[in-house]
Amino acid sequence: MNGFWTLIGKDLRLEIRTGQSTIAMLALALLVLVVLVFSFDPAFVRGPQAAAGALWVAMVFAGMLGASRAIGAENENGCFRALMTSPLDRATVYIAKLAVSVIFMSVALVAGLILVVLFFNLEFSSALIRLVPSLILGIAGFAAVATLLAAVSARARGGELLLPLLIVPIFTPALIAGVKSSGAALAGLPLAAASDWIGILVAFDILFITAGFLLFEHAANIE
Amino acid sequence: MDHFWYLFAAYSIIFAAIFLYVAFMWSRQSKLEVEVRALEAKLAALGNSGANPATPEHPPAES
Amino acid sequence: MNNRFQKILGVAALVSMLVTLWMIFAWVPTEAQQGIVQRIFYFHVPCAWVSFAAFGIVAVAGIFYLWLGGQIWDDLGHAAAELGMLFCTLMLISGSIWAKPIWGTWWTWDSRLTTSFVLWLLYGGYLMMRAMFGEGEQVARLAAVVGIVAALDVPVVIVSVRLWRTIHPAVLVTRQGGHGLEDPRMIVTLLAGLVAFTILFAWMLMLRFGELRMRTRLRMLARAIILAEYRAADAAEYRVAAGNR
Repeated sequence: MNGFWTLIGKDLRLEIRTGQSTIAMLALALLVLVVLVFSFDPAFVRGPQAAAGALWVAMVFAGMLGASRAIGAENENGCFRALMTSPLDRATVYIAKLAVSVIFMSVALVAGLILVVLFFNLEFSSALIRLVPSLILGIAGFAAVATLLAAVSARARGGELLLPLLIVPIFTPALIAGVKSSGAALAGLPLAAASDWIGILVAFDILFITAGFLLFEHAANIE
Repeated sequence: MDHFWYLFAAYSIIFAAIFLYVAFMWSRQSKLEVEVRALEAKLAALGNSGANPATPEHPPAES
Repeated sequence: MNNRFQKILGVAALVSMLVTLWMIFAWVPTEAQQGIVQRIFYFHVPCAWVSFAAFGIVAVAGIFYLWLGGQIWDDLGHAAAELGMLFCTLMLISGSIWAKPIWGTWWTWDSRLTTSFVLWLLYGGYLMMRAMFGEGEQVARLAAVVGIVAALDVPVVIVSVRLWRTIHPAVLVTRQGGHGLEDPRMIVTLLAGLVAFTILFAWMLMLRFGELRMRTRLRMLARAIILAEYRAADAAEYRVAAGNR
């Protein structure tokens, strides 16, 4: 468990000094939202459902960027190899990387949420608090898949394209569930109204965090 | 019989795709077979020269 | 390879396919509501079944690869993924052609259609990964991981998509009749189609698998030749060195 905190501390310190991942993710989330706002006529596309959709689109794109950057940065100076040959348990490395991506994505998503509230004429109200479970679960599920697959695609030529190709189809069930539950929360419905969707998100998270925990060793095996 | 062409299209697409796939695989497989044979022959020839008694098993001792 | 078995399987696939075709076009009665387009169904469902079976094989082969190792499992997973993708594509196309006259649209986001489409995307990504990595031990392990993860995703996809489409009522078209197989001959024809496609799939899988095995053998031979050539060159050098002394 010692190594776990060391790894997280290392990544956080690096991020605070350079800010490379979070700033890039924020910029991409902003761009995605701007493109969405201008692509759809605001007269027709408005309200909590559209806002929830926009938020999740921004999250998926920012998350993909963050995942490929996280592994890319480790790859640059052979750090990933060092990490893998270190006495740390592979599963610990996976959980640490997962936690770091969750933190980065959460930061990006909070900023994205503020932009969505402004762009879609929502209110800063308690409805936003009710978004927290679905967003956290969605981020955790995305990061679980992305961390596992980023290790896979890091060593492919054209890995930047490969990662979205693999993540997006796998993430679809969580995306559906996340958009639906966020939409319900933004519409001011009680949490119980979206309990089925939250259930799917929980199942997705459990399934893929376990799978990542067990399979990361194989995915990131460097001989 | 209004929808005959839909039926026709569905079945012809399925058969065309399967036929093309099988034909493609078949031709690739026969090409590969030739290649494998050639390499096997080459390896056998090399293997014989490798087993040549003229070949020293150990590098000559430093002197 | 089991060449004899493969030949028998090929003949069986051909015969059963011809029998099924005869049943579909000459024997089975036309469905009352949908007319002759309903006959697409007898090939559409077997395509779906075969592609699901293929994706199952991909996952099982992935597990065995990570567990036991051996290029043979990777080749099996590769062959199954490719065939699954082929039949999944055919299922989507034939379903779409059926939907146009019956539902009035090529595509709706019905739960089954959506699930099939997500599956198609999943294994499309898997095959893209294979295409981008090329060959080797590393890609085999990664493909195994992706194959297992994709299979784990399938039940979640099914549940979430079903919920997605039932909570949000479909307003596009009303489904007429469903798959009313009121005549027992229709069920027999469907079963014949399932059998024929299973045999065809097994034969095609063997064909593709055999081809991949041969490719693996080719790689091993090439490696052995390089090694042998290197040894021969080495030996010649030693001979020269020994002669000089």
